[in-house]
Amino acid sequence: MPYHEFECSKCIPERKKHAVIKGPGEDLTSALPLGYLNTIPGTISERGCAYCGAKHVIGTPMKDVIHLSHGPIGCTYDTWQTKRYISDNDNFQIKYTFATDMKEKHVVFGAEKLLKQNMLEAFKAFPHIKRMTIYQTCASALIGDDLNAIAQEVMDELPDVDIFVCNSPGFAGPSQSGGHHKINIAWINQKVGTVEPKAITSDYVINYVGEYNIQGDQEVMSDFFKRMGVQILSTFTGNGSYDDLRAMHRAHLNVLECARSAEYICNELRVRYGIPRLDIDGFGFEPLGNSLRKIALFFGIEERAQAIIDEETARWKPELDWYKVRLTGKKVCLWPGGSKLWHWAHVIHAEMGLDVVSVYTKFGHQGDMEKGISRCEEGALAIDDPNELEGLEAMETLKPDIILTGKRPGEVAKKIRVPYLNAHGYHNGPWKGWEGWVRFARDIYNAIYSPIHELSRLDISKDEIPGDKGFVTQRMLSDANLPEEVRNSATLREYTGKFDCLEALRHKTYPTFERKAAAAVAG
Amino acid sequence: MADQMDDLMKSRMAQLEDYIMKNCLWQFHSRSWDRKVQNEGVLTRTMQILCGEPVANETPIDKCHWVDAVVLAEEFHRRCPWLAGMDKAEVKTLMGALREHMDYLTIDGSLNLELTDQHY
Repeated sequence: MPYHEFECSKCIPERKKHAVIKGPGEDLTSALPLGYLNTIPGTISERGCAYCGAKHVIGTPMKDVIHLSHGPIGCTYDTWQTKRYISDNDNFQIKYTFATDMKEKHVVFGAEKLLKQNMLEAFKAFPHIKRMTIYQTCASALIGDDLNAIAQEVMDELPDVDIFVCNSPGFAGPSQSGGHHKINIAWINQKVGTVEPKAITSDYVINYVGEYNIQGDQEVMSDFFKRMGVQILSTFTGNGSYDDLRAMHRAHLNVLECARSAEYICNELRVRYGIPRLDIDGFGFEPLGNSLRKIALFFGIEERAQAIIDEETARWKPELDWYKVRLTGKKVCLWPGGSKLWHWAHVIHAEMGLDVVSVYTKFGHQGDMEKGISRCEEGALAIDDPNELEGLEAMETLKPDIILTGKRPGEVAKKIRVPYLNAHGYHNGPWKGWEGWVRFARDIYNAIYSPIHELSRLDISKDEIPGDKGFVTQRMLSDANLPEEVRNSATLREYTGKFDCLEALRHKTYPTFERKAAAAVAG
Repeated sequence: MADQMDDLMKSRMAQLEDYIMKNCLWQFHSRSWDRKVQNEGVLTRTMQILCGEPVANETPIDKCHWVDAVVLAEEFHRRCPWLAGMDKAEVKTLMGALREHMDYLTIDGSLNLELTDQHY
């Protein structure tokens, strides 16, 4: 097994089995790190807790819900507004966060009364919102507050409200992934099948699962589905509606994007309701095109998907290629939380020319590493649950041109002058869809070639500061070694989309497609 | 089966495997029993499509395997022009060996400790 031992972690020998280098001829039977295990004492993990995984990642993107944490205020504060899962209802779920603000006295005397009072006050303060999720935290779990009983009392007093109890305290798993699991299973057990869909408007009905509408990704994908005449019955959970998600059992197909956070509910929907699970890639021209084709094939509407693929590729390919020629050969550490390590590993190489020199996952399971290692090239260093020192050592050894990661390791990277992009919340997203993929390439380009990095790499305590040179632009840096015909290509061009590419989608009208039953009657 | 293949067939199988492992997701369901069903469902249908045989897609789950198989067969054709020169028997031998190998990579030889977890 090609394990990699970090110099900085030699004092923590258990860490050795959490990193491997994919060598020549290695496959998954010989190169796979351990994963989804309790963090080893002595190593400072970058993980979140199971409450965070349940609330911050999966629960809160639901848009028409009061999300109430039953615990100290810090729990809700630290899971608020740092991930940009926007919604088309004026971002209610991002604007407001709710907590019962448990104190020491509540730990001693119990906090159920406090919880009930907070729930009633929240519904009173926002009378147009009739749905609520209550999140258990470590403090309220340890004192044994009965959240289900209080939720039932409030539903009895306010018959027009519905409440979901998420029992995933911070300690309920090795990482945030434990919380993903718990909220998936809790939702299907408590809520799926409790209402019927408001309306079935198409012969082709899907649940779009594991999509969190980061900077509008869900709305971009929704545009493609609407153009194909496919109805999204529910989105789990970005820009998703609580009641739509209660009706998931009526879909014909579960389209699964982030399998790390949401495969559990897809598996259960398959077992309990016979709805199949189709895993897709929404990032990158070719993977997305193939994904739309598969959904269309499932419903027998291939030509609708092909029309979208042709139109979007023709519109955006010259712009993607403008960036590709300037990014080719640049080294990337692909260090996201979980699923993006495999969603991106092969396609940023194939379509942007980037070389992935390392993949890591904070909370992924071995299944995520199987996908990530399969998709990256030989020589890549794969790390599970790295600590900060390992991250620094890897950057010093591999010398990446950019890292794609979260904001905590990202800030560490900046300190050693390595540009980073926020893989969780994005920079100038959305990054899904054809246009989104070009926006991603633009963000990578802007990060790598930002003139500020040229300046920041100079150490004023020892380097000679070139006072005789003027300001250097991005183009001067990126085009320095490009041949003339590429530099001034008549076919390639920089991104020409709008600053806000979502606004138009929200007011767009879509073609109507005749339904099979109506067509049969007419015939 | 793979042991009895000549070098040419082995290198061809490696090309097909490389495409699947880099571009597909269906082989990575989370439990051994799911992976068995997925490998069988998708690769059998891919072989049938490549051989011009009828393919079962009656149930929604069959259909899901079928759509993955259709796209896979197209990509195989696009990337591996030598497929067109093979007869049905050779394609069946190749795809049989590929399936056996995929079972080994993703199930029997896998180092993933979660594959045998009893629950989702």
